[in-house]
Amino acid sequence: MVGFKRDYQGNAKKHHGPKPAAAPKSTMRNAYTPMFERLRDELDAHHDRRDRIGKASRDVTALSKKIIFSLQRVRQIDASLPQDIQAEVDSRLAEIAKLLASIAPEVQDINRYRYSRSLVCLEELVEALTFSHYLKTQTLVDQAHLAQVVEDLARQGAAPEDEVMADAGTTPIPEQAGQVAAEAPVIGVTQEDYLYGVFDLTGEMMRFATTTSALTGQMASGDGHDEPRTIVEDMHDLGSLFEMLPHAGGGNKTWEKKLEVMRQSVQKVEKLGYDRTIRGSERPKGWIPDLTTDDQPNSP
Amino acid sequence: MATPMIDPALFEQLKSKIETDTKIRKELHQILDDLNQHIAFTQGLFSRIHSTPRSKYPSLLGQVEEGIRKEIESVGKLSQFASQYPYYKYNHMWTRMIQDAISTVLLCTWLGGMGSEARPGELGRLLTLEEIGEVFQVPVNLKDQDAFHVTIEEYLLALINIVDELSRLAMNSVTLGDTSMAVQISSFIKDLHAGFQILNLKNDILRKRVDSIKYAVKKVEDVIYDLSLRNLIPAKASE
Repeated sequence: MVGFKRDYQGNAKKHHGPKPAAAPKSTMRNAYTPMFERLRDELDAHHDRRDRIGKASRDVTALSKKIIFSLQRVRQIDASLPQDIQAEVDSRLAEIAKLLASIAPEVQDINRYRYSRSLVCLEELVEALTFSHYLKTQTLVDQAHLAQVVEDLARQGAAPEDEVMADAGTTPIPEQAGQVAAEAPVIGVTQEDYLYGVFDLTGEMMRFATTTSALTGQMASGDGHDEPRTIVEDMHDLGSLFEMLPHAGGGNKTWEKKLEVMRQSVQKVEKLGYDRTIRGSERPKGWIPDLTTDDQPNSP
Repeated sequence: MATPMIDPALFEQLKSKIETDTKIRKELHQILDDLNQHIAFTQGLFSRIHSTPRSKYPSLLGQVEEGIRKEIESVGKLSQFASQYPYYKYNHMWTRMIQDAISTVLLCTWLGGMGSEARPGELGRLLTLEEIGEVFQVPVNLKDQDAFHVTIEEYLLALINIVDELSRLAMNSVTLGDTSMAVQISSFIKDLHAGFQILNLKNDILRKRVDSIKYAVKKVEDVIYDLSLRNLIPAKASE
């Protein structure tokens, strides 16, 4: 850097470099100092743990969202995913598996609920996994099976690097995964994680129904059965499930909010189903409904 | 026929879990109502401290200790019930109350109450987190087991509660003619303030409450200043 500062007499001022880190607070020790130091160490450990879990959680959330985006490119339900999409999903799951394995040891026993708020990624993960399961089987995966899938992810993530990452939930962990994976700590999915994730699933199903009905000219429905169900019926089934369940969560507003959003998703899909039924044959494939109001000035 | 969208058994499972959870919360509410009454009663007794000369402390503290004994009983019931379930699932329901209960014990012992043969009461005694656990007969800072216990945060927040109370007492003691009490409170609050500065705090409720300690420090400093200006500090107690 050319030039340097001068003082009022024209003498060059010395540049002492960046200020040294502030001297540690000079605390006069008193009778309570040792106690506070111990408490500080405990709190530090807790905060550090919470930060580590939060970081991993944000990454898992982002990866889960990417899985959902990939899945939204599927065009059929009740069928295996197209290979390229399945490969994307698998690769994201492999990354998620490693992240889960990295924090699993820190959320055992009493810590599982202690860090619940930092584990919101599980809701997003439930959403992604239930969505994937629905597209492949046209059913809602139940809580026990889903919890098992998430546990297996943590085990896979703990397995040594060179193991092939199997598609979570459809193929068993290879025998060779061995002791490390089998004994690895896992992360538990609470009923709250499951239910809130399934609430969010209805939103993705609604988007899926909208896209596929516009592009394929039909409501997505199952394949090769005598009476294939459409996505409209599936949405109705999910909606009824939540309407009939007593409200969970002890007074927080989350349940009510998610219920409201789910109701809107169900109604959007209902409308699609109605449109298809009434006007299905009239519309060419790829036609998208005009959502503007009727009285529009005609453009010249 | 295709597999149904939702397994019929699933609804029953989900429903029964939610109903169980609701029952647990209901029962907790009942236990906590009782605890709350005992705490409110004890806190009410403490309000008299601001108009009680030190010589009459033993009698007042005796009544306070009665209230505290009832608190301990309720906390015992809470501990027994809540320990059946994950601690952090429901602890938000009772954490404020536990802080208040701890505050009553901290204040009582600081004022010289709850003495025993092994350890007679003395003015200025601050119980540690572990000693609080012994009073309430529950574990503290539990890490290797999922059961009811008192947390570090609860202890610290309770401690800050009595700082406010004592700063008020400092002023009222002077009014009652007890200037050495004000001096002792001043020294105690300043020591605590220094102690709280040692903690590394995040932007949470603890941080907010710790920030408020400085107002209590200032309040008591003003009282001491008023006293020293008028040479009212007893020679024995001044530095």
